[in-house]
Amino acid sequence: MGTSVQVTPLCGVYNENPLSYLVSVDGFNFLIDCGWNDLFDTSLLEPLSRVASTIDAVLLSHPDTLHLGALPYAMKQLGLSAPVYATEPVHRLGLLTMYDQFLSRKQVSDFDLFTLDDIDNAFQNVIRLTYSQNYHLPGKGEGIVIAPHVAGHMLGGSIWRITKDGEDVIYAVDYNHRKERHLNGTVLQSFVRPAVLITDAYHALYTNQTARQQRDKEFLDTISKHLEVGGNVLLPVDTAGRVLELLLILEQHWSQRGFSFPIYFLTYVSSSTIDYVKSFLEWMSDSISKSFETSRDNAFLLRHVTLLINKTDLDNAPPGPKVVLASMGSLEAGFARDIFVEWANDPRNLVLFTETGQFGTLARMLQSSPPPKFVKVTMSKRVPLAGEELIAYEEEQNRLKREEALRASLVKEEEIKASHGSDDNSSEPMVIDTKTTHDVVGSHGPAYKDILIDGFVPPSSSVAPMFPFFDNACEWDEFGEVINPDDYVIKDEDMDRGAMHTGGDVDGRLDEATASLMLDTRPSKVISNELIVTVSCSLVKMDYEGRSDGRSIKSMIAHVSPLKLVLVHAIAEATEHLKQHCLNNICPHVYAPQIEETVDVTSDLCAYKVQLSEKLMSNVIFKKLGDSEVAWVDSEVGKTESDMRSLQPMAGAASPHKPVLVGDLKIADFKQFLSSKGVQVEFAGGGALRCGEYVTLRKVGPTGQKGGASGPQQILIEGPLCEDYYKIRDYLYSQFYLL
Amino acid sequence: MASSSTSLKRREQPTTRDGDQLIVTPLGAGSEVGRSCVYMSFRGKNILFDCGIHPAYSGMAALPYFDEIDPSTIDVLLITHFHIDHAASLPYFLEKTTFNGRVFMTHATKAIYKLLLTDYVKVSKVSVEDMLFDEQDINKSMDKIEVIDFHQTVEVNGIKFWCYTAGHVLGAAMFMVDIAGVRILYTGDYSREEDRHLRAAELPQFSPDICIIESTSGVQLHQSRHIREKRFTDVIHSTVAQGGRVLIPAFALGRAQELLLILDEYWANHPDLENIPIYYASPLAKKCMAVYQTYILSMNDRIRNQFANSNPFVFKHISPLNSIDEFSDVGPCVVMATPGGLQSGLSRQLFDRWCSDKKNACIIPGYMVEGTLAKTIINEPKEVTLMNGLTAPLNMQVHYISFSAHADYAQTSTFLKELMPPNIILVHGEANEMMRLKQKLFTEFPDGNTRIMTPKNCESVEMYFNSEKLAKTIGRLAEKTPDVGDSVSGILVKKGFTYQIMAPDELHVFSQLSTATVTQRITIPFAGAFGVIKHRLEKIFESVESSTDEESGLPALKVHERVTVKQESEKHISLQWSSDPISDMVSDSTVALVLNISREVPKIVVEEEDAVKSEEENGKKVEKVIYALLVSLFGDVKLGENGKLVIRVDGNVAQLDKESGEVESEHSGLKERIRVAFERIRSAVKPIPLSAS
Repeated sequence: MGTSVQVTPLCGVYNENPLSYLVSVDGFNFLIDCGWNDLFDTSLLEPLSRVASTIDAVLLSHPDTLHLGALPYAMKQLGLSAPVYATEPVHRLGLLTMYDQFLSRKQVSDFDLFTLDDIDNAFQNVIRLTYSQNYHLPGKGEGIVIAPHVAGHMLGGSIWRITKDGEDVIYAVDYNHRKERHLNGTVLQSFVRPAVLITDAYHALYTNQTARQQRDKEFLDTISKHLEVGGNVLLPVDTAGRVLELLLILEQHWSQRGFSFPIYFLTYVSSSTIDYVKSFLEWMSDSISKSFETSRDNAFLLRHVTLLINKTDLDNAPPGPKVVLASMGSLEAGFARDIFVEWANDPRNLVLFTETGQFGTLARMLQSSPPPKFVKVTMSKRVPLAGEELIAYEEEQNRLKREEALRASLVKEEEIKASHGSDDNSSEPMVIDTKTTHDVVGSHGPAYKDILIDGFVPPSSSVAPMFPFFDNACEWDEFGEVINPDDYVIKDEDMDRGAMHTGGDVDGRLDEATASLMLDTRPSKVISNELIVTVSCSLVKMDYEGRSDGRSIKSMIAHVSPLKLVLVHAIAEATEHLKQHCLNNICPHVYAPQIEETVDVTSDLCAYKVQLSEKLMSNVIFKKLGDSEVAWVDSEVGKTESDMRSLQPMAGAASPHKPVLVGDLKIADFKQFLSSKGVQVEFAGGGALRCGEYVTLRKVGPTGQKGGASGPQQILIEGPLCEDYYKIRDYLYSQFYLL
Repeated sequence: MASSSTSLKRREQPTTRDGDQLIVTPLGAGSEVGRSCVYMSFRGKNILFDCGIHPAYSGMAALPYFDEIDPSTIDVLLITHFHIDHAASLPYFLEKTTFNGRVFMTHATKAIYKLLLTDYVKVSKVSVEDMLFDEQDINKSMDKIEVIDFHQTVEVNGIKFWCYTAGHVLGAAMFMVDIAGVRILYTGDYSREEDRHLRAAELPQFSPDICIIESTSGVQLHQSRHIREKRFTDVIHSTVAQGGRVLIPAFALGRAQELLLILDEYWANHPDLENIPIYYASPLAKKCMAVYQTYILSMNDRIRNQFANSNPFVFKHISPLNSIDEFSDVGPCVVMATPGGLQSGLSRQLFDRWCSDKKNACIIPGYMVEGTLAKTIINEPKEVTLMNGLTAPLNMQVHYISFSAHADYAQTSTFLKELMPPNIILVHGEANEMMRLKQKLFTEFPDGNTRIMTPKNCESVEMYFNSEKLAKTIGRLAEKTPDVGDSVSGILVKKGFTYQIMAPDELHVFSQLSTATVTQRITIPFAGAFGVIKHRLEKIFESVESSTDEESGLPALKVHERVTVKQESEKHISLQWSSDPISDMVSDSTVALVLNISREVPKIVVEEEDAVKSEEENGKKVEKVIYALLVSLFGDVKLGENGKLVIRVDGNVAQLDKESGEVESEHSGLKERIRVAFERIRSAVKPIPLSAS
């Protein structure tokens, strides 16, 4: 029997919630994606918390909050301890995304779900893979091979392929078949007939995607229109995902047009992001790596974009129209929210959304049509304590400190007593009354303590404390003093000194602001006030999500034509729509499980392995067809030396089999072929092909979807008895292989 | 697994194969250093590793022996790193030969390859008249080169391959190739020691069946890196302190970057040296800095951490030098110049100028190819020949401090011990060094299961691998796991080197192929009575069933359970059948019969008599044909007693029963062959089985 596969969604089915799915392959539990939303709603993680400890491996597909946001929290609080697998950019940019999320949140709330250390810990042990690297899982997962493949959508974005015993489970969400400026299109279509495909229906109902050129033109026109009338443009973006594409578009356009309007990219980690992205050229589109190979032009050497890491830099920037890309895209936190509130009431300004906001966020509210005239916003801010509050705080701190000190000293005294007691017990030949000893220490102790240096505590039992003395006795043997050869080894001059100290902070390559925020221990508090913001600026939404649209999704699934299909991550309507479509056209096994509903997608495929004996193979004549070769075999089962089934040639004559025609006839291609042979040929009604004067040829039976999954083709050729008939029949036969 | 070629020759029956032959032929770098190029062939797949030229030769003589192979048959060409002796004949091979396979190298290698070769073309213009390729060829070759990332698995025509970090230089890779389960590791140049900017070579996860490994360092042991660095900086420090000049001839890329890192750091730590200039006289190295800055992912953690603060490849004490004209030769200085072998160019110009002053020093920092001046001066001759043909005394100090990142003996032997490949092929080493290494390795693997080979250029190493062909039977055919003796019939689909057996009607489910049925319908004018047709058909065919058509209620006949004959109208009948050879034949004869009926009736009666006669004649004819075919196949065939045919081949006798097809012989091979041959002959002369399947 095939490999057993179960899929259990933990979050993100029948809605647009973050993605998180449990896929169990022969008892080995994969957690694929571990997402959270920008609101950090812990109730979403409940299903995950129930299974977190049973998970054996985590696979991450994209470097944004929706795909990996819950990782630090799950590692810290939910008992998730499995190794994590991701591509290098997903790891690095995901880390930066989480930093940005944390710092943005910390600014406006007493955020305590996880800390920067938790983020570091969660990402520290990510095992980084490259695209199409077949990684053989060790230990419990023996026999399972995982490999990330290009997904498009975001830098490093992956489709995961899990293979066991030749059966593929493919997880592909948020892929993009279209090539973009910085990314290649997905390679999903190169997988055919996997046992299971898990994919999203997110865009299943979204069909009229505008052509890239037109969209770019509209995008740039809208921006420049607002800039020219003196307005500012805000693009709420993610930290390190889709924003890269936007930066490239703007950069390219600015250098073509010679615009002088400044562009600012403002997140807590913007400069690190771009530094890392600059070294990720291997992961980008062919054109970017080609341009680097030939002219050493790094596309992310941004000449027109200024990277900012705090808001004051933006405030200090020269006045005048500007473009600002700031995180978060949801407008729930981060710089984008502050800027939005500042700019919203000027009708010259533009807020340009490049993706659909997460459900229930400010961005989503603003994207509704018609856009709201007013929005109620709670603005929170972290301010340093001042005046009375500061004094109160300090007093409180001092009190705590004192208490702490008191407790410590109590503990110490206890210890002293204890050690004293033990000394007493081991009391040796000294014939001094213990009581007097005690008195001496008791009366003089504090005085000594002041004089003596730190780290030296005189034994309380000693009469008169003194510095310790170690008698450095040498050992002698018949050759003289015993020496330790190590003492005489000339130490290699450490040439690496310089470097050793430079790289103190290995993973947390943070910007100064970040570092200062981290190290900032000044007392502060969060104050909130509610504002009503008049939205008089223009609000525009354009699609830069970098996901395939509904039509492409359908044709992609049809091309892949999995034996079983699992649909996730979309509103109920879209899920249902795609499910019906696939049931009707692609495959009979389509599942769309609810949260925590386990579907068993074990393939009911029977299979066994046999060895093909040399004797048999020498008599088999292969015929080449596309990239595979086919032949008919008649054989008898035997055993090899190693007790394996092997196929031997038949001893007796093989019983004749029904001949099979193998090949895929496309009527249009055949028409061309015939006309190249000089046969008059034209299409008649109903998909029939009229060849010559009398003969007609047509496909009958259920017409298969692209990919030919629906069964053998039925071709009907009819005509009167004539020479043409036989000629055309011969041509038709030439299109097939007869086995 | 593998058996040596000699043992194969001893076998007397060439029919029993020991497995499939795998050939490895060095076209260059076989018992020499330079022009690395190793050809490999297994099961119809051909791979070329590396494509270098020999730095000590020029023109066509520097190329590997490409004429030993047919370039058009090469499926994949894999380049390990950008050095001249590994990559420089690539433009020639791509543009001037019939090669049309695919070429792969890593990202960093590709970026540097172009710069390096463009420079090479310029430099060698000085001394080489017959250029192998020009800049245009290099640019064209860039379009054909595909990139592969470390660990990424690529499959081309069923050849799977991926690469591991090799150390040595930026982007250097070791390739693991998997053809039908047989793995071959080609190390290229590798180093297991981590240095200032590169990672050490990885240990592959799987043990290969064959390891083609470099042997540059032979049995030498390297000094520890710190000692070498100290010697290097000490020599430089003392030379410049005495007012001398230091020349470091080096390849522009690879080790040069490592040396620059050392020097820059040393200068930073020694303020007294601040006024002494360091030059690197290589515009090429300058251009490549962008590449070094970008591919930090392929470097070690040290450099990546440093990069977090400032770019370690932006040097503070080192300045570039574009040509000798810009160089004001006053006072002590340190110059690193190309080419590394002192063949020509700037390093040679400086050498000629400085060689006779004993205050000066020349540090040779890496492996030097036989035949270059750098190799000659290591032995400290009294005199050297200058570029202008004059001789001059060699007074300058010459130091050989190897920074070449090649594995030394300790690294090689531990690497091989970890992998335990049953076959080791040594390449890329001088013949003597290689023999020493081979001897020493033999002592390391005393169990005798390891073959170590040192082929010379164009000398093939043959190995045999019993590659078991495994097939997976899937779908309906596999519902019941068969026992011994059961038969399995189905379509065998081969894709790459994987086989699947499936039932024909499931072909479209498990593969991208699809099956088709072709239904044919043909109308024939026939005005006679339908019953006549039935009558005639019954005389010829065993099975003719009559029925009525459900729709029209007209009479219909089913001939041989295949062809349906229907009366369409008064004047027409139609034949309908599903295409396959037998049905086509039945339909043809039915058509002929129908046409004959309508032409003339009495003739058939005559034919009927003929038919009886001809049947006897036919029988005789068939026997004649069978006999003739057997003679043509086996030669000595006689009609023996009891009607059996006696066949003699090489002293073996077999008896064949013509009726049953049974063969009796003591020689099983012959028996099998005759049985198969007879079956085929019989199916050719008597194609229609009596009972329909």
